[in-house]
Amino acid sequence: MKFPPISRRATLGLLAGGAASMFAPMRFASAQSNPALNFQLSWLPSVQFGGSYMAEENGYWSEKGLDVSLLPGGPNAPVEPSVMAGTSLLGITAADYASAAVAEGATFKIIAVAMQKNPFTIASLPGNPVNTPADLVGKKIGMAVANTPILAALCALNDVDINEIEIVPTQYDPAPLVNGEVDCLLCWLTDLPIAMTVAGVENVTMLLADHGYAVHSQTYIVTEEALENQRAEIVALMAGEIAGWNAYFADTDAAAELTVAKFPDLGLDLETQKLQAAKQVDLMASPLTEEYGFGWFTEETVAENIATLGLLDREVSADLWDRSILEEIYG
Amino acid sequence: MTKPPLFTAAQMRIYAWFAGLLLAWELIARLAFGDLYILSPPTAILLRILEDFPLYCRALGTTVLEALIGFALGNLAAILLAILVVALPPIERLAQAIALVVFCLPLVATGPVLRVIYGPGWGPQITLAALSVYYTTFVPLVVGLRAVPPNWLDLIASYGRGRMTAMTVVRIRASLPYLVASLKIAAPAAFLGAIVGEFTGADRGIGVLSIQAMRSLDVDGTWALATIASAVAIIGYALVGWGGRLLAIGAPPTLLVSPKARAPQVLWKRIGIAIGAPMLSIAVVLLLWQVSMDALDLSRFFAKRPGDIWTYLVTGGQAAAHRSELFAALGATMIVTIPGYFAGLGLGAVLAALFCLLPTVEKIASPVAIALRSIPIVVTAPLLVLALGRGQLGMLVIVAVMIFFPTLVSCLHGLRQAPGQVIDYFNSFRAPPLTQLFLARVPAMLPSLFAAARMAVPMAVLAATVAEWLATGTGIGNLMALTSSTSNYNMLWSCVAILTLVSVTGYMLVAMLERRVLSHFAPEQVIQ
Repeated sequence: MKFPPISRRATLGLLAGGAASMFAPMRFASAQSNPALNFQLSWLPSVQFGGSYMAEENGYWSEKGLDVSLLPGGPNAPVEPSVMAGTSLLGITAADYASAAVAEGATFKIIAVAMQKNPFTIASLPGNPVNTPADLVGKKIGMAVANTPILAALCALNDVDINEIEIVPTQYDPAPLVNGEVDCLLCWLTDLPIAMTVAGVENVTMLLADHGYAVHSQTYIVTEEALENQRAEIVALMAGEIAGWNAYFADTDAAAELTVAKFPDLGLDLETQKLQAAKQVDLMASPLTEEYGFGWFTEETVAENIATLGLLDREVSADLWDRSILEEIYG
Repeated sequence: MTKPPLFTAAQMRIYAWFAGLLLAWELIARLAFGDLYILSPPTAILLRILEDFPLYCRALGTTVLEALIGFALGNLAAILLAILVVALPPIERLAQAIALVVFCLPLVATGPVLRVIYGPGWGPQITLAALSVYYTTFVPLVVGLRAVPPNWLDLIASYGRGRMTAMTVVRIRASLPYLVASLKIAAPAAFLGAIVGEFTGADRGIGVLSIQAMRSLDVDGTWALATIASAVAIIGYALVGWGGRLLAIGAPPTLLVSPKARAPQVLWKRIGIAIGAPMLSIAVVLLLWQVSMDALDLSRFFAKRPGDIWTYLVTGGQAAAHRSELFAALGATMIVTIPGYFAGLGLGAVLAALFCLLPTVEKIASPVAIALRSIPIVVTAPLLVLALGRGQLGMLVIVAVMIFFPTLVSCLHGLRQAPGQVIDYFNSFRAPPLTQLFLARVPAMLPSLFAAARMAVPMAVLAATVAEWLATGTGIGNLMALTSSTSNYNMLWSCVAILTLVSVTGYMLVAMLERRVLSHFAPEQVIQ
């Protein structure tokens, strides 16, 4: 044996040191709670949130005295609990998830709607295209199983029997379509189709929103409590956000360049980001936003949402939407 | 442990094997998969790594640092807990039970919860890395701390010294080979834990890059990242092994002694412990569940307490419907998990025995085996699914691959533990290698095999649920993904509870079998 002698004292010291370091994670945790306002995004950083990056970069928040942290999302990142627990003041989620959370006891209000048209799309290849919902019959569709209710609603809206569509679970990946494993994909217009285009794979897209699927997406949620107690901060936060998106619409290429420069560690492709930034405008801009401004919604669009959400088996009240923040900003 | 002599001819053969493998890969990728977005040839992978070298280095720096911190904290906790358990035997059952329950918590559910608790930053990455390693260190270390010849302890006692001296002078040293073996497994596991942590929201790191690559149809990028991740895991594994050889020179000084069953003689006492101990453990775990959530003041919206789940599954109005949904999903998962578990375990043990007979094969196959385990499951799962289909076979293979590698490492270690005198005895009779293997080495391997089999239970469940979540969309893994996106946290926590219960039960069954088998084989191991 070539061990150095181990003394009792050394052992005790080691144990004490170890015990002390056990508490290190706790200190680590408490060091995280800073006074900054957190804004929980719904996915990994990309130009999808270009307006928020413009707001941060151009100082639209700091000039109002706000210290805003943009929290990245991910495949396993929760938005609703983060907002509900108060970790984030503001979160981005879709109307269907917000209403599901409310059914489970959350007290969310949707205060603005970034995507007037829902971005969900059926993407297919030109040789075997899906141009209308009826084309789905007999096809294999690749999608995240969590999105099954969306397909079910589309089918109900267009009199298609969902049992005649074969669902193949895939995740965040266009490869199954390109490899012929499935005939089409349920995905976002601004996501996998653009990746395929950039990779040189021609593709056909059918926007669900063009076939009756009216669900607000990329909506801004806050809790009722926050709306009461932190109203001034929410107004300032949203005003900066709106200014950021207006700067984005003025120059989508600049937003794409900013996003790529801001996140050098993500390996984002500038061309892809530019394409995505431009395409996203189609979903966010509408006659409504032309007239009233970014994020606006009306009783009619809310009613359409409630009707579609009903097809998703969600009982939603119009109270989920609250336009008072937007009215204060634009008023 | 003496260094094996390096023969140039043998080395050349190994290099030739590697070159052949790479060439075959290149040809298959170029010719058979040229038009498909599945497999990248090695040259394309290498080019991509060189092209994006600075990017990959920065990402690697982040993920490796997260993994290292988690590795250090997780193993430190494991070591302290193991020492505590051996020093204070009465707390063992309870400590084992709680440690096991924490290890069995499914990552798909714990990740988001950790993110909410920690807020932004590295908290979840580090914690998941620590959680991935602490248990695989804790269990073998408890075995190692006990693997001490009784006469050594008698010697300490005859000098009038107590348990503290026994611990520092005998037990800790005797446990070092076990520690090194488990730290080797821990190195790739910590890396995987950090990557899964990045899925809960991060803006840099290998995990983030691999999602980006998969989404943007960047197959070369996906394979480049898988290659880098595997290389890091193998380097981590090798570094720990090298450190172990530097420190713990000399073979393990003892026969491998299994933990003694300390069942009391009186029947009613034995029954009392058999029923009372699990009940106490369950009560303590439920109490911890409630108290920790209350202490952290977690919102009842997502952090459901035991009472909420009881209402949801047992006393509530819809309870029967909730139960049948839960059990249907659980059944679908178990149909693939159980065969996958036995396949991985069997393959690991058989291959370890084979390697023992053919050291040259070990040199070639070991890195391949490590690589297979080290490629993040988010990358392997879709690839395996593509090759084997989204049916039960693909799932079964994923589960088997996940537990194969730890079993192999553990069994190899066990095989080498065969006491030198016994091997000398066989050698003096010129016993053929197979006889040596079955009569000397395999019995010495059994405790390690059982340790691996126990730890593989929660691993198999984790692998199955993660693969269901990512690729096949079936079973309870999928149910967890569905319910977390629709904020149905009652069902999510029900899944967590039932999965944990299943893992713990499986673990107990293996432990029972282990006691039976080792009580037969233990006497042969202590012949001297």
